[in-house]
Amino acid sequence: MEPEQQDELTKLKEENDKLKKRQSIKADVVSISAHQIRTSLSAIKWIIKMFIDGDLGAMTAEQENLMKKAYEDNDRAIAVVSDLLQANKVEDVVEKKYSFTEVDVVDLIDNCIFDLSGESLAHKVEMIFLKPSIELSKINADKEKFLIVLQNLFENAIKYSLEHGKIFIAVREKGEFIEITVKDKGIGISEEGKKNVFDKFYRDATAQKKEGFGSGIGLYTAKKIIEDHGGKIWFESVEGEGTTFFFTVPIYKETK
Amino acid sequence: MPKTILIIEDDSFLQGLEATKLKKEGYNILTASNGTEAFKAIDSKDPIDMILLDLLLPDIDGFMILEKIRKTVGHEKTPVIVFSNLSEEKDVDRANKLGASEFMIKSNFTLDEISKKIKDLIG
Repeated sequence: MEPEQQDELTKLKEENDKLKKRQSIKADVVSISAHQIRTSLSAIKWIIKMFIDGDLGAMTAEQENLMKKAYEDNDRAIAVVSDLLQANKVEDVVEKKYSFTEVDVVDLIDNCIFDLSGESLAHKVEMIFLKPSIELSKINADKEKFLIVLQNLFENAIKYSLEHGKIFIAVREKGEFIEITVKDKGIGISEEGKKNVFDKFYRDATAQKKEGFGSGIGLYTAKKIIEDHGGKIWFESVEGEGTTFFFTVPIYKETK
Repeated sequence: MPKTILIIEDDSFLQGLEATKLKKEGYNILTASNGTEAFKAIDSKDPIDMILLDLLLPDIDGFMILEKIRKTVGHEKTPVIVFSNLSEEKDVDRANKLGASEFMIKSNFTLDEISKKIKDLIG
């Protein structure tokens, strides 16, 4: 090997080692942070359950409903932390533990929109579900994981929409698949960002300007889950005008 | 005679919630907030019927305590539930190899579910 090539190779090896170390440090930070978050979420879970179970006195019906909602949302946060930990694995393999069943995607979308109504209200953004007029086939999905996909995409649309903006969610049957679209008229994705938007921890510059905090894990996780379901995800976006995400999931087929 | 549970947990709030719940279920409760206190409790002659063990403690980690438990005469078979928010496969494997009876992730269970698991193990 030529000396220059040898130098180049040595530099590449050093860079690779540095990257591995950085990745490992990042993985440790995520792991420790996740542990701390879970500790807080555990306490919240237990306290809310004590309220629901009547251990801390009787509640009004409205209070009980709110507590149940809080309990479900807390459980969802716990699930997100778990998925964050999965996506964090240095080997870059998301452990595929899925439980596929027949799922009504229209119901799931409805519930997810309802759950995010507080957030959309806080951002002064309206979510509009263009429900199909005919009944659609059920999808073959892990309900909990698929809900994470919906949540990630809807939350992104909310976060990156402008005030008083509208988000349109549509669903249709296309051959062997159900196709879902999430369209916002928000900040859009930069040209540079379009190449990297599904990368783990990547946050587009336009996104960072709008919302300082973000894990950069949402789209990466969503893509992994969709692909593990046998579907696809893609998007169209114009910076400053908005983004539409499209994703598909297979229709449920009964196995004999 | 009520059964005795040793709760090894450094977060005082979580320790309090666990202790309150299990006392209500009729158990006698001992607590330790760090490794030193845990070692003291394990070495004492007080009867302990089961141990709820956190893994991240301020002075030593729960794995060392689990090793200690299994090497202590009289506690070789005492049921130990590792009760942690760590959940990597390597942590679960290590706990199992060191003789944990169960590995439960705190945020995945309510206090009722934990109490039921304890009842299943020691009555």
